[in-house]
Amino acid sequence: MADTSSKPDHFEVRVLRQDGPQASSYWERHRVRYEPDMNVISVLQRIASQSQTVDGKEVSPVAWECNCLEEVCGACTMVVNGRVRQACTALVDRLMAEQESDIELQPMSKFPVQRDLVVERRRMFRGLEKSKAWVTVDTYGPMGAGPRISQTEQENNYPLSQCMSCGCCLEACPQYTKVELVQGDSESDDAFAERQDSTFDGEFVGAHAISQVMLFNGHPIAKNDANERLDSLMAPGGIQVCGNAQNCVAVCPKEIPLTTSIARAGRATTVRAITKFFG
Amino acid sequence: MATKLSAPFLVRHEFLLRRLHSLSGLVPVGAYMVVHLITNATIWSGAGTFQRAVNQIHSLGPVLPLVEWAFIFLPILFHGLYGIVIIRSGLPNNGSYSYFTNIRYTLQRASGLIAFLFIMWHVFHMHGWIHNSQWREFIEGIGGKFFPFNAATTATDAIQASFLIRAAYFVGVVACVFHLANGIWTMGITWGLWTTPEAQRKANCVAGSIGAVLLGIGLLAWAGFALRSSDSDAERALENKIIDARIEAGQITEGEAKHKRVPTEKKRSSADVGETVLGET
Amino acid sequence: MPNQKVMIIGGGLAGLAAAMKLAELGVDVDLMSLTPVKRSHSVCAQGGINSVNKQTRLAGDNEWKHFDDTVYGGDFLNHQPPVKEMTEWAPRIIDLMDRLGVTFNRTTEGFLDHRRFGGTLYKRTAFAGATTGQQLLYVLDEQVRRWQSQGRVKVYESWDYLGPILADDGTCCGCVAQDLATMEIRSFSADAVVVASGGCGLIFGRSTMSMVCTGSAVSRSFQMGADYGNGEFIQVHPTAIPGADKLRLMSESARGEGGRVWVPSTPQDSRTPRSIPEAERYYFLEDRYPEYGNLVPRDIATREIFNICVNEGLSVEQGRQCVFLDLTHIERSELDRKLGGILEIYEKFQGVDPRDHPMKIFPAVHYSMGGLWVDYQKSGSGGLQWGSPQNQTTKIPGLYAIGECDYQYHGANRLGANSLLSCIFSGLLVAPSLVEWLKIVPKAAADQPSSLYEAARQERQVRHDKLLNRPSGGENPYLIHEELGDVLTKSATVVRRNPQLEEGIDKVLELKDRAAACSLSDTGNWTNQNVVFTKALQDMFPLALTVLRGALARDECRGAHFKPDFAMPSLKCEEPGERIREAEAWCDRFEGNVDKWLKSTIATWQGDDVELSYEEVDTSLIVPRPRLYGLVGADVIEEVWKERVAKRTDVEATTA
Repeated sequence: MADTSSKPDHFEVRVLRQDGPQASSYWERHRVRYEPDMNVISVLQRIASQSQTVDGKEVSPVAWECNCLEEVCGACTMVVNGRVRQACTALVDRLMAEQESDIELQPMSKFPVQRDLVVERRRMFRGLEKSKAWVTVDTYGPMGAGPRISQTEQENNYPLSQCMSCGCCLEACPQYTKVELVQGDSESDDAFAERQDSTFDGEFVGAHAISQVMLFNGHPIAKNDANERLDSLMAPGGIQVCGNAQNCVAVCPKEIPLTTSIARAGRATTVRAITKFFG
Repeated sequence: MATKLSAPFLVRHEFLLRRLHSLSGLVPVGAYMVVHLITNATIWSGAGTFQRAVNQIHSLGPVLPLVEWAFIFLPILFHGLYGIVIIRSGLPNNGSYSYFTNIRYTLQRASGLIAFLFIMWHVFHMHGWIHNSQWREFIEGIGGKFFPFNAATTATDAIQASFLIRAAYFVGVVACVFHLANGIWTMGITWGLWTTPEAQRKANCVAGSIGAVLLGIGLLAWAGFALRSSDSDAERALENKIIDARIEAGQITEGEAKHKRVPTEKKRSSADVGETVLGET
Repeated sequence: MPNQKVMIIGGGLAGLAAAMKLAELGVDVDLMSLTPVKRSHSVCAQGGINSVNKQTRLAGDNEWKHFDDTVYGGDFLNHQPPVKEMTEWAPRIIDLMDRLGVTFNRTTEGFLDHRRFGGTLYKRTAFAGATTGQQLLYVLDEQVRRWQSQGRVKVYESWDYLGPILADDGTCCGCVAQDLATMEIRSFSADAVVVASGGCGLIFGRSTMSMVCTGSAVSRSFQMGADYGNGEFIQVHPTAIPGADKLRLMSESARGEGGRVWVPSTPQDSRTPRSIPEAERYYFLEDRYPEYGNLVPRDIATREIFNICVNEGLSVEQGRQCVFLDLTHIERSELDRKLGGILEIYEKFQGVDPRDHPMKIFPAVHYSMGGLWVDYQKSGSGGLQWGSPQNQTTKIPGLYAIGECDYQYHGANRLGANSLLSCIFSGLLVAPSLVEWLKIVPKAAADQPSSLYEAARQERQVRHDKLLNRPSGGENPYLIHEELGDVLTKSATVVRRNPQLEEGIDKVLELKDRAAACSLSDTGNWTNQNVVFTKALQDMFPLALTVLRGALARDECRGAHFKPDFAMPSLKCEEPGERIREAEAWCDRFEGNVDKWLKSTIATWQGDDVELSYEEVDTSLIVPRPRLYGLVGADVIEEVWKERVAKRTDVEATTA
């Protein structure tokens, strides 16, 4: 159990803030009263309610994203003490053991910052769309049960289906680089979204999407579209960009076997490329 | 970023290019490197053995440049240049994520870059890139120092010319060996040979062992030229004896030999260099 | 009519199910959500989803029994036709989810595996590891993405719904919403709006609900004239891990595997828990319920834990209410084998190994049975008329509500693993109903005057601007929210007493005025979470008042609504004849109570407070009967009750 007697009354938090997209970022120090069982979310809640820096300067609350606080929604990803993780499971006691001086919060660096710790991760969902990560069914009408699936298959697929699109694997990936576009003054929202999508499509999809391809290509019905999915992985920005640094699997909060998925996708695309070439 | 002109092509064929890049690293580049290091390590069996090994390669005669370019130089150039494109597409982050595999990711790129620069220079230094007498005269003193019919002595002289050159060869060999061994491991993932963490762990041991053996051979070869003390006059005499014997046997012509042996007026000077260096060590 | 469009508010299970079904039926859909839909609160559901299945049928189960369990669990406050229809559809819904790729756990033969949940004797619950809700949400998210890629569905993520737009005839013809990044306020035209925004746990401060569960979308619809039903029925889960930010569920299985609940006999004993000797520990559940011990039913466990902390002052900690749930007497290897997954959750969030240290737990608000009042059309067979535009419609024509934010499936208490079912079911049900509504909509949204939309937008813009321009130095919205949470948690969760509820209402009215005088610490117009939160806070008060007023008025105990002052007593007489007479009197009182209180509470917003009315519950299929679990003399009462029912059926038969 955390020994509360040795804990300080207060601790300091350094936040890398940014007022808007493309604005310059700056560090801000906050002082938060120590309470037992705190996580970074509760720290940010205290900061929001104080709205005051360590020097007593009145500031706007730090913006951040969160939702479930149980590490199943993927919203609260940020870089805490230099390492990407979910803010909800980043416990203050452990962070203080890691780095005594203060807690350091930064937004993810691979996605455009919207404000402070809030980033725009639409590119991830575009990746899922590009990978056709779904089961194509004839109808949602009552057609009886789905295919029988063995326990082994379920046990292989379940871990992959836990991916919550948090983006940790992408933040830690040296091959995944930031794409930030600016909407033109006369550009409509739809036109901008379209331009974004086509840019995203040419850039690396990342481990999360590759793993989803393997999830669906392992499903008895979804594998009908297996070749289309593999083709998407062989298109620009596909699996070939992977540099095998294997950071993805090390930082994944759900411990998804991402590198196994990547290697399996490597094998599948090898076969696909050869059969495609020789017909 | 690739240049504007090349971007569409590079992007369009990214999958194919990356896979070719991966493949070319093993065959022919990696395979050639293994043969090359083993051949060079035979220097320890004496200048004669080494000379016979070199002669084997050079028995291709006029086709040799074609083979060299098609199966060695061009693949190396492709692997190296596209490797630079790949390096530029990533952003190492070992400061934040110091996992073993991530360190190797960065080392793979660093060693690749070093190996590429080294090989470019090494081919120039020894081979001169182009078999053209005017070109060879032009680069004399800094490149094209290797004469195939005087293989052991010219190579030894070239490498032992200075501490820097010896060091460069050491670093170059180590970088090449690491790059190949680690590359074998990543290649197996890329092509889907080992998929599970357990398989990748085993493959890691295999690749590591290959790397260790290769490093042994490589350093042996390096030491054979960079550190081995020898009687260079006697070796040169032996080499010349082999040349004369081959001419006599009609295996090679006088004219051919003329390009591939140390020119007469140069003999002394290079021997002198050799002696000085040997005197230092 | 061409170019008709439906706007769905909320991208959880219900909203996504409706969106995908509507898309299949050829309707253009706009889907709006506070978060990327994949991050909706539905992901938090762990246990599973109920349906009759092949295995339970072999054991004699059928749809009717699932229906019966659901209304019995809901203490008969649920209208029966929708529940009957839902339970009949349940097997088909599981089939569909299975076909869509949910990674349900499997039997050795490859069929879906099932587990048993509370409130039933059958293993009806299909599950996918400990993340069933997440898995279900993901397949629906994938399907909606598929329609999105075909242009049939358009998703507006990170938009805050500010309320419906009503045409002159009172029909809903769109909504106003705000972009959470640019803060732009915009009107959206739609021929129908479906609210699928989930529960309102945040009015209780911290709960097991996600941060988006403020209830604001519901409240904004409620304030525009949609009625709210059964607001006072809030489910509280007995064992949650209290956190500084939220309360996280600790599965019941911890007690099932031998976990013991206790507090130190000395209040706030400062010794480490394991050094406190047995004699100085109070195992209050084992002491008070020797028969059931730590495995008393959920509601009793909830009340006792609440009681020991709040009323008896024996909480483990000084500043925080919690009791020990102790597993440390059990072998580590056994714990790992049986409870590995859930113990890891505790360890992950508390940083403490529950194998070495007793866990600290406390009940937490978990689910809101109440929600927007919605209608339905009954079919000849007692179920629902599929495709009727009446199904799931609120008081406002053209405004529909589905999922946790409608009131009609769970009555006074929700059966475990029925929530995922009701969300998907109502989503699938509303789609064909909307298709019919689109055919009869009085005036197409496209034909409504643009001035209508501009006026609605302007109204919200004015509210927004006013808030931004409030002078500094006023109330802090975050602190008011904490206070509101405290008031509601204290007066309207586990145990409810009228004086406390009255006090709570006064306090909430005061807080409501104070919240109107909030000052913002962020007055900018870019990703201003401060103003968004403050608006949500101000909109919590209508719902808070609905809960409190409903609870105050309802002088009885029903399901999750427990008022000890009006509880049905246990039998006291020992002599058999006396006991039977007492049981007769008990049954008379029960019937009287059914006549008086078996009614849905309907709240209507009157501008500054709620007004309550009551609606008869459709109990045409199953006659309400008493719930006797844990009551002394239950066997006698049951006998007497059965005789009465038999007599009544005889009379009915003779008269027929």
